Amino acid sequence: MADAEVSLSPALRPLHLSPSHSAPPPPPASSSSPTTFSCPSSPSSASSSSSSSSSSSCSESSSDCPVHHHHHHHHLRPQLQLPPPPHSEQPSSPSASPRSSSPSGSIGSTGSLGSSASEGIGSSGMSSGADARGPSPPLDIISEDAMEMDLGVDQEVALKACQEVLLKVKLQNREVPEHPDTNAPPSARPESSSLLSAASASKQSWLLRLFESKLFDVSMAISYLYKSKEPGVQAYIGNRLFSFPDSEVDFYLPQLLNMYVHMDTEVGDAIRPYLIYRCTGGITFSLLTAWLLGAYSSDMHISTQRHSRGTKLRKLILSDELKPSASSFSPGDPTPDSPTPGEGFVSPSRRTHQRSKSDATTAGSGPGSGLRRTGSNPKGEAVHEEPERLRPQRELVKSLLGIGKRLATLPTKEQKTHRLISELSMLNHKLPARVWLPTAERQHHVCRIPNTQAVVLNSKDKAPYLIYVEVLECESFETSPVPVRIPETRIRSARSAENLDCGVAAHRAGSFSTVPNYDNDDEAWATDDIGQLQVEVEAKTSSSDNISQFSVDSITSLESKEPIFIAAGDIRRRLSENLAHTPTTFRRDPEDPSAVALKEPWQEKVRRIREGSPYGHLLNWRLLSVIVKCGDDLRQELLAYQVLRQLQSIWQQERVPLWIKPYKILVMSLDSGMIEPVLNAVSLHQVRKQSQLSLLDYFLQEHGSFTTEAFLTAQRNFVQSCAGYSLICYLLQVKDRHNGNILLDSEGHIIHIDFGFILSSSPRNLGFETSAFKLTAEFVDVMGGLDGDMFIYYKMLMLQGLIAARKHMEKVLQIVEIMQQGSHLPCFHGSSTIRGLKERFHMSLTEEQLQLLVEQLVDGSMRSITTKLYDSFQYVTNGIM
Amino acid sequence: MSQVEKKAGLLRRTSSSKKPLKEKVVLMYDEIFAKEDPAKNNPRFWDELFLMKVNLEYLESKLESVDGEEVQRIQDNINSLFHHCVQALGEEHQIKVVNALQTLCALFRGVHQKNKSASGFDIINMLMGFDKAEQRMKDLMERLDSLLCGDGSESLKSLCLKLLLCLVTVTDNISQNTILEYVMINSIFEAILQILSDVSSRGQHGYDAVVLLALLVNYRKYESVNPYIVKLSIVDDEPTLDGMGMVVHHALTEYNRQYKDKEEENQGGFFSTLTSMVGSMFIADADEKLSVQTNEAILLALYEAVHLNRNFITVLAQSHPEMDIPTTPTTPTPTTPTTPLGTTPPSLDMMNNPELPLDPNLQTSNLLITFLKYASIVMQDTKDEHRLNSARLCLIILTCIAEDQYADAFLHDDNMNFRVNLHRMPMRHRKKAVDKNIPSRPLVCAVLDLMVEFIVTHMMKDFPMDLYLRCVQIIHKLLCYQKKCRIRLHYTWRELWSALINLLKFLLSNETTLLAKHNIFQLALLVVNLFNMFITYGDTFLPTSNSYDELYYEIVRMHQVFDNLYCMVLRVSTNTGQWKEAASKVTHALVNVRAIVNHFNPKIESYAAVNHISQLSEEQVLEVVRSNYDTLTLKLQDGLDQFERYSEQPKEAAFFKELVRSISLNVRKNVSLNTLSQDVLLKEFSTIS
Repeated sequence: MADAEVSLSPALRPLHLSPSHSAPPPPPASSSSPTTFSCPSSPSSASSSSSSSSSSSCSESSSDCPVHHHHHHHHLRPQLQLPPPPHSEQPSSPSASPRSSSPSGSIGSTGSLGSSASEGIGSSGMSSGADARGPSPPLDIISEDAMEMDLGVDQEVALKACQEVLLKVKLQNREVPEHPDTNAPPSARPESSSLLSAASASKQSWLLRLFESKLFDVSMAISYLYKSKEPGVQAYIGNRLFSFPDSEVDFYLPQLLNMYVHMDTEVGDAIRPYLIYRCTGGITFSLLTAWLLGAYSSDMHISTQRHSRGTKLRKLILSDELKPSASSFSPGDPTPDSPTPGEGFVSPSRRTHQRSKSDATTAGSGPGSGLRRTGSNPKGEAVHEEPERLRPQRELVKSLLGIGKRLATLPTKEQKTHRLISELSMLNHKLPARVWLPTAERQHHVCRIPNTQAVVLNSKDKAPYLIYVEVLECESFETSPVPVRIPETRIRSARSAENLDCGVAAHRAGSFSTVPNYDNDDEAWATDDIGQLQVEVEAKTSSSDNISQFSVDSITSLESKEPIFIAAGDIRRRLSENLAHTPTTFRRDPEDPSAVALKEPWQEKVRRIREGSPYGHLLNWRLLSVIVKCGDDLRQELLAYQVLRQLQSIWQQERVPLWIKPYKILVMSLDSGMIEPVLNAVSLHQVRKQSQLSLLDYFLQEHGSFTTEAFLTAQRNFVQSCAGYSLICYLLQVKDRHNGNILLDSEGHIIHIDFGFILSSSPRNLGFETSAFKLTAEFVDVMGGLDGDMFIYYKMLMLQGLIAARKHMEKVLQIVEIMQQGSHLPCFHGSSTIRGLKERFHMSLTEEQLQLLVEQLVDGSMRSITTKLYDSFQYVTNGIM
Repeated sequence: MSQVEKKAGLLRRTSSSKKPLKEKVVLMYDEIFAKEDPAKNNPRFWDELFLMKVNLEYLESKLESVDGEEVQRIQDNINSLFHHCVQALGEEHQIKVVNALQTLCALFRGVHQKNKSASGFDIINMLMGFDKAEQRMKDLMERLDSLLCGDGSESLKSLCLKLLLCLVTVTDNISQNTILEYVMINSIFEAILQILSDVSSRGQHGYDAVVLLALLVNYRKYESVNPYIVKLSIVDDEPTLDGMGMVVHHALTEYNRQYKDKEEENQGGFFSTLTSMVGSMFIADADEKLSVQTNEAILLALYEAVHLNRNFITVLAQSHPEMDIPTTPTTPTPTTPTTPLGTTPPSLDMMNNPELPLDPNLQTSNLLITFLKYASIVMQDTKDEHRLNSARLCLIILTCIAEDQYADAFLHDDNMNFRVNLHRMPMRHRKKAVDKNIPSRPLVCAVLDLMVEFIVTHMMKDFPMDLYLRCVQIIHKLLCYQKKCRIRLHYTWRELWSALINLLKFLLSNETTLLAKHNIFQLALLVVNLFNMFITYGDTFLPTSNSYDELYYEIVRMHQVFDNLYCMVLRVSTNTGQWKEAASKVTHALVNVRAIVNHFNPKIESYAAVNHISQLSEEQVLEVVRSNYDTLTLKLQDGLDQFERYSEQPKEAAFFKELVRSISLNVRKNVSLNTLSQDVLLKEFSTIS
């Protein structure tokens, strides 16, 4: 032991130091203001460099991901302009690590109990096992500790070990969060030095080592943050958050915020600097945070709520004081360049300017200059002088939610649809603007909402609706200039350019010596002007040398010597063939307006909308869609989304081919939000109602007969998704599983939507739906029957999925558990929610026993008449088949 | 109505006050009509004059009474009056501006009334003097322009527009109004657009502005380059175009509403039902007539916008809740509108009140729907000259729309479904569909319904051939679009087929009477070619396979009509006469229809004979049709999907000339400066000054 310690000392020392380097903000590439944070002192940075290199060398032997992580840090350093590490003994630390890595590696593999497939375990998944691969034998002990802790076993022992150290950290750290002024770094410097001194002074801290390890990921950080009662640990982790990539932390934002709102001051204080920092950095993060804070605070009693931390932070964010101040735009930082003239000019009198922003609009005399006095019309030029950062987006959300509220008052779907279309057309007049869809992956500005494409979704008394949104992708939605408005009318001139091509194409398609070929799908009919075509045709007629390929349209029967004959039977046949070949579309149903819109293949829809959009010719044009929900609490949906995402990544990592489709949720308040729609999917209810076919027959109709590859692929997709969702439904106790809540996509996957009843809540508390998940005879038919290979595959997938999920149970539990804090959500009703969830992972069963369990579950669901009963109940009450 | 009363009252007042003591202003007018320069003795004469309340009647009658020689004598004074009027428009004192505007109006009117026969140049000379005319008119137009676009009183703006309307309509034939040459040079087009683009000014002056624009566009339309035509055709500013659409929409909505109210009123008693059956309700009511006439101007404006401006088409589909634009703005628009999303200030009325009225009965509508409803009312009765013109104009507008591929795109847009309650003429042989539950469908269905409705309801002795031709051509254009774009519209084509066959039947049975006036072969050819469209290209646009069978069924069922038609055209084409060629075209066009009849009839008969059925059911006939397609050969006819594009000149020129003349007369009659009571103005301005 002691020997090992000695040999390790060069490597260990830096390890303790590294908080100083991890505390500074994430790489500048992602943010414009890193330079506002003062650089860590050179010694610490120097040691940090050696620390990272040493740890990298350790991890290289185990997996790719940590190496990647290492590179990340590597990039960070030069950009922070740290002096080069003076340490020359660096090589010594790598030499130490290989030695230690081999034994620990073996322990690590034994440590990962259940997994037989130890290969290709991703970074987060091996967190427990990989800790063991630390640089020294003593670490093995820690790693086991850590692993145990990761599994929820008591961590007190480890905590005590570093208590002393971290107490000091806490004391140092306390002062920091009190500065909302973000120009001052949420400085890690004082603590790092204190850590440094503390570390050198005190004994080894195992826990700290774990924290410093490359394998310490966000999930673990969140877990410790939640479970540790030790302020020092909390404060440390609060700092450590800065070192994780934004996207990884973002996943746990609901957890972070819920802790911030509902847990004690220490946790709040630990998280706060990070939140403030991120809010300063980005509008998107600011708004997401503000929305979530609002939603999570709402469970508090109204009197405490007003003065709560969450409410205060929310106000601070919405007051828009957390903006990168002018000084943060350091020279050489390219991103904020474009708005700088405006920004710099504005800032002295920011307050007053906010109110008079429309004065910018009178300036434009742009394209409409043909009209002398239309200067009052805005052209998008002066937009980036936006005085308030958050306002446009908040206004957009407000308008969208307002529409939803108003729609709810209208009695019929048809009226709702009409109203929706006209309201959106008004909204269109204010676009493009510096607004974006938070559900999207890429940076963009919304430029237009094709209002006629919007549909009202099925709901009894609310009015959720789906809109399609045209966006223009951009570098950065915050700094790129907002696209200039192209009037709706401009589509016409844009089109006339295409006319020529289309005219030619159309003509070519129409010119055959016998009968025009109607089966040619390439004809770009939709765009050309009738007149254009006509001119074309007339031109053709006059040139007599083209007789060989004359168009049937272009000669009159009087002129033609040889009359052309066509068989009536052919026309009739072509008609039925054409009708058969057009992709099956749903019939328009005024009571279910969304069915047709959702059935239309996405690509087709994109093409169609692009054609009709004045922005469609732009290369960075994209189509997105979003569901706006009003009057529904989406917090549970968000929780379900997180669990689904977590399970999805677990299954991916464990290479279990289960298929699920988590769809993004945006909680905007207690009772509103947005949902990312699942593309190319319609509900089973719509399928049945429209096609009047059994599910299997529908599969055959859509994909082809049993033996075709298309059918087999679709069937496999169906099975893999069924298995995935069966597990989800079982683990989360998803209820209310009627056919309106299960979608079928064009590839054969099913997708469960609406997680309004999960965990401890079930609809109306009726005794319905006691089965573990929904597995109807129809489903089994599609899988090829009870004895089919695919059905066996289905059960096998479930078993594999359960085993994999069990292995990482803690990561799933953690998400749910933290959200239970302070929550009044119905899914947390009762005291046994978490226990129940935990039990469903059946940690104690052997794999054989698990297999039996799966059989039982499937059997139970099959035989369960309750699902069936529930369907008919739904049909009676809601008209859902 | 009330205006007339007011006018009369005003006259009475002046005439009664004339005798005991002449108004001061009248004395001053007398001075102008004397030889002397009125300012000679009183240097402040002109200043004082415009402080006086104008006596329009007196001034106008004075101008009228001036005869030839006197003109020469007092021309200097009149020129001077005109000159000072124009100058007074620039005064800060608003009362002077008002008085100057009214005086100018009286001048234009008086001079023209007197000199109906005089050439335009004489009139210009009399008013302004040849040498000064250009400068004077330039000044006048500039002053009007700045008044219209300034921040001044709304009443003043209104008065400016009235003056312009007055000027534009002083002659019966707008193209003979030489003064307008100066209005062409000194354009007020931009001022009109600004009025239309601004929410509050549109509410108050939109109607006048739109009518003025429509009239100006028609000045020497065919003879010279009219800058208003050029400018109107290139406007692409959305708020402005929307504004224009809103004004038209509002006017048509208002008409539709009035009509509906009247109809409901009349449906009360037995007697009224009877009268409405006869269709006399319009002729009886003078008010009704008046509103029809004024709507001709709006309809003309709509036509010009649709015809000249490609961009306006998008406005047609711009949907908004059906509601009344307040004629007087409840709240003036804030000078600095807040722009919630940071780019565009609100431009539509609704944008100022984000909370739209939440009336669930409020139907969402758009200009096109309103127009279709309007057309359905107007087309019901075409006996009256004005209504005939309106119906024709409606059909011309629809022709333009049907030819526009963008319009076609939204007409056929499956995502834009609407219920369009068209008005249907009450007729003896059919019940008026009481609140028929019309399904929500793409807009083109409403257009087709309207066309079918027209076809069915106008087979009368006084046959509106022109309207029928337009009607059938509109259907043809829509079919061409559907064929081209492979749009399978779920429409009950059967109704159209049977309406068309009935039309042919009507033509046949009234051959002799109709031939005296019309070329019925042209219409017959169009109708038969519609059938040919369905027969040859049905596979590209029919919604179901069954519908093709039904087409054959319908043709076979009504084969007698086609047989008779063939006999008739054959007879006419073999005789020598003026219709020979026209008739022979129809015989050629009938080839496929006859092939179908000749092919299936024997098959059906034999089927009946074999199965011993005397009367085959529809299903049985369809079965025979289905099983015998393969032995039928059709001849491919060409040019079926070709059509002649609409062009105003030369065919429609005469119609528009007449229409504009009638509108001019009407506007002139209705432009009353008295609508703006001077009391109101004075009250308004007394507080300012």
